[in-house]
Amino acid sequence: MGRTLPSATQTFLLEQEAFTRFRRALRRSDQLALDDLFTCARQHIAAAAYASHALPFEVFLLAMLLEEHKQVMHLRRLLEEAGHS
Amino acid sequence: MLWLLGEDGQRHCLRQAFPITFFAAGPPEHLRRLWRRLQSQPVPLQLARAERRDLFLPDPLPVLAVQVERPIDQPGLFEQVSREFPDLTYYDADILLPLRHAAAHGTFPLARLRVALDDQERVQVIQPLDSPWELDPPPAPLRILSIEPDCDPRHAPPQALRIHCERQNYRLPLELVQSAETGYPVPRPGAWARPLLANLSAILRRHDPDLLLTGWGDTWLMPLLLDLAAEHNLALPLNRDADFNVMRKREFSYFSYGQVIYRGQQVLLCGRWHIDLYNAMLFHDYGLDGVLESARVTGAPVQSAARLSPGSGISAMQIVTALRSQVLVPWHKQQAEDLKSALDLIHADQGGMVYQPIPGLYQDVAEIDFISMYPGIMTRFNISPETVGREKPHAEPVPALNLWVDRQETGLVPRTLEPLLEKRIALKKHLLEMPAWDPRRRVYKARAAAHKWLLVTCFGYLGYKNARFGRIEAHESVTAYGRESLLRAKEAAEDLGYEVLHMYVDGLWVRQVGRNTVADLQPLLDEISQRTSLPISLEGIYKWLAFLPSRLDERVPVANRYFGAFQDGSLKLRGIEARRRDTPPFIVDIQMGLLELLSRAPDAEHLADCLPKTLGLLRGCLQALRLGRIPPEALLVTQKLSRELDQYRTPSPAARAAAQLAWNGKHLRPGQLVRFLYMRGWPGVHAWDLPEPPDLRAIDVACYRKLLLRAAGTVLQPLGVSEITLRDWLLANASYGAPPGKIIAARR
Repeated sequence: MGRTLPSATQTFLLEQEAFTRFRRALRRSDQLALDDLFTCARQHIAAAAYASHALPFEVFLLAMLLEEHKQVMHLRRLLEEAGHS
Repeated sequence: MLWLLGEDGQRHCLRQAFPITFFAAGPPEHLRRLWRRLQSQPVPLQLARAERRDLFLPDPLPVLAVQVERPIDQPGLFEQVSREFPDLTYYDADILLPLRHAAAHGTFPLARLRVALDDQERVQVIQPLDSPWELDPPPAPLRILSIEPDCDPRHAPPQALRIHCERQNYRLPLELVQSAETGYPVPRPGAWARPLLANLSAILRRHDPDLLLTGWGDTWLMPLLLDLAAEHNLALPLNRDADFNVMRKREFSYFSYGQVIYRGQQVLLCGRWHIDLYNAMLFHDYGLDGVLESARVTGAPVQSAARLSPGSGISAMQIVTALRSQVLVPWHKQQAEDLKSALDLIHADQGGMVYQPIPGLYQDVAEIDFISMYPGIMTRFNISPETVGREKPHAEPVPALNLWVDRQETGLVPRTLEPLLEKRIALKKHLLEMPAWDPRRRVYKARAAAHKWLLVTCFGYLGYKNARFGRIEAHESVTAYGRESLLRAKEAAEDLGYEVLHMYVDGLWVRQVGRNTVADLQPLLDEISQRTSLPISLEGIYKWLAFLPSRLDERVPVANRYFGAFQDGSLKLRGIEARRRDTPPFIVDIQMGLLELLSRAPDAEHLADCLPKTLGLLRGCLQALRLGRIPPEALLVTQKLSRELDQYRTPSPAARAAAQLAWNGKHLRPGQLVRFLYMRGWPGVHAWDLPEPPDLRAIDVACYRKLLLRAAGTVLQPLGVSEITLRDWLLANASYGAPPGKIIAARR
């Protein structure tokens, strides 16, 4: 049985590929940070598939933002704990 | 003609008049022409106008019913008619006779029957006394004769045939030589075959077996015996019915779900059954009990049930349901997908939900599974090609799709599946309650496995547009209900305070501190089955469970690569080396040995205590490998050929091994398995089925060591021991001090 549409993982890889020229022009340190962002977004492919948004990259951006916000919350908690002790 | 096993122990061959009907539909003037044409030909038949239901059309269809008096006339007549009138649509035209009989009389293979005969010994009444859905049918008193050569004929020419029947053993010598053409041994010329054929005939006549169970019977043995019998002009009573010739079907390869599948040629008998252990679909999964069970529930003849894919089995069941309810069975189906908007397509064209677990080691994880989720959805929500469609009164919307399901009348697919699903759930329930020593466990397991395959493929057949009762919209609805149910289960778990670690199509992995007994989990199970109205079960609670990251990137999780130990100490593993068919048995044994050691740890925190023992095991295995103490059979790699040899651009080890075989006259087809050893030097492999034995001194120990360390690394990685650390410890003689200080992600 063939699928008519590419799977969410395929879409993700296509979107990532679309930024190869952008990535190439970045400094090496920035390239690594960018790769991290994509790795973060990858954790939410199942949710992106379920959302079946017509513009998938918006969902991937939101997934990156989500992971960033989790980091912020985590760091904020660490700071607060450090402040208390 | 019917073959029955009497209560008196006799085998009876009975005759029964059984007219069969096929239908034609089309413009009235074409049907009238067909009517006149059929009246002017010699085959005895009756013609009638009728109205029948085509599932893919909204209204009943006027058809011409052609009832052929003798079933044997039908294929020839139909071929002629379809050639002369290609514009008409035909139904019920190519259905196996046993399926028609099953639909008309409620019969099935291995059924208990009451039969009344007239004075000419013709069947007047035939009445089944049991049903395929009985859980414990009395075992059929079959006489089984097994014939097997004394070695694998692809490897070396066998010296003798070993025959076993009714507690008697026979050994018939063979004189064979390797053939340069087929790769299978061929008979040495001479008169040696006469006594073989005479003895075999005598054995067959003495025991008169109901079932011939052979090794390589389809692909090699039976054709060889038939050729020998023809050459020596001797009759070999392989068939019980001497009026018919033995049927031979040719080999073929086909492409299914991204894999090339090879099916060997087949030899089918009349009046008794022939099953080849090595050419029976899934025989290694469910054995003879499974084959007989799939024949019972599908109604397909035993010889076909053994060789058919489960997909054809489910198709047979649907045909019987259709015939019984006077629904037309299309001959060549022509049905296009309904038009849908791009947005509808984006929503509909999805499979099941597959999450990415967060790699790491966890403890007290519960795995909860939906029981036969997709078949359950089809029966619970009435999903069938004729029930799914546009909005209409009484119809219920499919979650998140622009489709509706009619719940008024039970559809063909749910009607077919319901008894099978009920039987499977009942069997599983019995299995859970049965003590471990109960002899029925093995049979029940084989039956449950046969049902599992039928139920799994039934979902695929719903989406396959060439399947007779397949329709893509029905398929999409099933996955949509599946996603909805899994999300409801996730919400239920989170509402009750659980953390959801992973979800995979029909199962979810959850944990909550302090909840690690079956009783603790019961409220969650109740909540999920209440919210989804689907049957659900607790697969088990893991003492510890490791989700592994991708091999290529440590940070990328993969959906189906994990292993863990349940509270009873049993292991579950997916996607690691020991589960792969191409891993050599030596490596599989080591990985399983390591996991056995780890499964003794009471929880995740104590896993590291097992490390010294695992390293001891690995040292021993590495030494045995280095000293050449591992038998070559244990080092065999088995891989499937994916294409013809000349289509490889860079030949894989499997292709190189197949090329070695080809030079020696054994030609493998795509989809066939090739077994080989890794060797030092060009070409780096030695095909196992070559006539000369491998040079054991040239076995590539370094390559096997690499495979071993990789497999060990997979298992020890969640303990913080990487493949590199392992290599340092074991090969560079770096001393192993203590378990690594930090266990990654051993979060409670």
